[in-house]
Amino acid sequence: MGNQDTELTRKQRREQARAERKTQEEASAARSAQRKRLIQLGGAAVVIVIIIAIILVATGTGGSKNAPAPKSAAANAASTEVIRLLQGIPQSANTLGSPSAPVTMQYFGDLECPVCKEFTLGALQGLIQKDVKTGKLKIEYHSMQTATREQETFRNQQVAALAAGKQNRMWDYIELFYHEQGEEGSGYVTASYLQGLAAQIPGLNLSDWSSARNETAFNDKVTSDAQAANQAGFTGTPSFLIGKTGGAPQKYEYSSLTDPSGFESAIEKAAKG
Amino acid sequence: MSRQAVRIAMIVLALLGLGIAAYTTYVHYAGIKPACTAGESCTKVQTSVYSELAGVPVALMGLIGYVAILGSLLVRETENTRFATLVLTLGGFGFSAYLTYRELFSIHAICEWCVTSAVIMTVLMLLSVWRFLRAEDKPPTTVDPAGATQSTSATVADSGY
Repeated sequence: MGNQDTELTRKQRREQARAERKTQEEASAARSAQRKRLIQLGGAAVVIVIIIAIILVATGTGGSKNAPAPKSAAANAASTEVIRLLQGIPQSANTLGSPSAPVTMQYFGDLECPVCKEFTLGALQGLIQKDVKTGKLKIEYHSMQTATREQETFRNQQVAALAAGKQNRMWDYIELFYHEQGEEGSGYVTASYLQGLAAQIPGLNLSDWSSARNETAFNDKVTSDAQAANQAGFTGTPSFLIGKTGGAPQKYEYSSLTDPSGFESAIEKAAKG
Repeated sequence: MSRQAVRIAMIVLALLGLGIAAYTTYVHYAGIKPACTAGESCTKVQTSVYSELAGVPVALMGLIGYVAILGSLLVRETENTRFATLVLTLGGFGFSAYLTYRELFSIHAICEWCVTSAVIMTVLMLLSVWRFLRAEDKPPTTVDPAGATQSTSATVADSGY
């Protein structure tokens, strides 16, 4: 009887040991599989991060890394293009076009905004050629801070443009700024950059331009533009108001920044209305 | 949550994402304004220079991505298909993060279609990570006619749902 008990206990012990060994093997296999999966997950994540980093670098910021240096070939090319575009078009303060133009478009932009650059170098060129030059449209530029990170820089660059407007050259300044726009957030907008743009504008008296930059009226204009943008409910740049000159303008929601046809339809509608 | 429920949830999310991507792809090629409650924000994003990558609309890339994810969820489940879903959703999540960065810091406008797609892709990625790491590899035990306990060669994880 005693021997039988001992025999059963041994059998049970063997089964128990086998079960334990099996459990350990299974746990070990599970740990190994889990480790393999974690390595696969980590590997996939690293590859994805590298791919996204490459895309980020390849697509850049929409602006050139550095703004062209004054008197460089790129700056001269931009200057020539802007002079050709604006030649013969009347300017007054922030307005481009004939004062008697039947339709007014208000363009709210940030000089450092790459999307505004896309519009300025895209659809706007066509509008200037076709509608502003023919006296159908005048365009007012209003500032709205979006892309420029520092408030002080935003004011400085906008006041520099407005100061050029005192000599009826604001649109030359705006166009040159967008043509030579640097990488967003790279801090390219320095005193010498602003000075360099002014130096590219033919006929601009640099001494008068420098003095005008201290006028408080231009700072007030930046503030009133911000209030106007807020009142219109704009959340980004570029944003537009189009209407019959002297009438109540309507918000214009564009479908393309490079094709001017949508803008032209809105301008024709405003001229009729 | 059961693995079956997770897979169904992922299929539903992938279908939603597919619908959004199909709509934004249509809007891109038709050249029309997308429906948007946030004014011109969606148009701003969809017509920006970042709406295409190497000449290919990002909306189309999203559409292809969702089709691939859906495909990886609908085939018979194996360790490989779970890994494929994981890689696809990780890629989709990374690309969504890149596009959201562009919206916030380059375009300065938010497109609600893109944000919804990014949220869907984030949830899909989290679920696919969970699904991949929680995969059961323990071989099921069977009893052979002789009464001895043995393992089958196929794992539960590889058996499909």
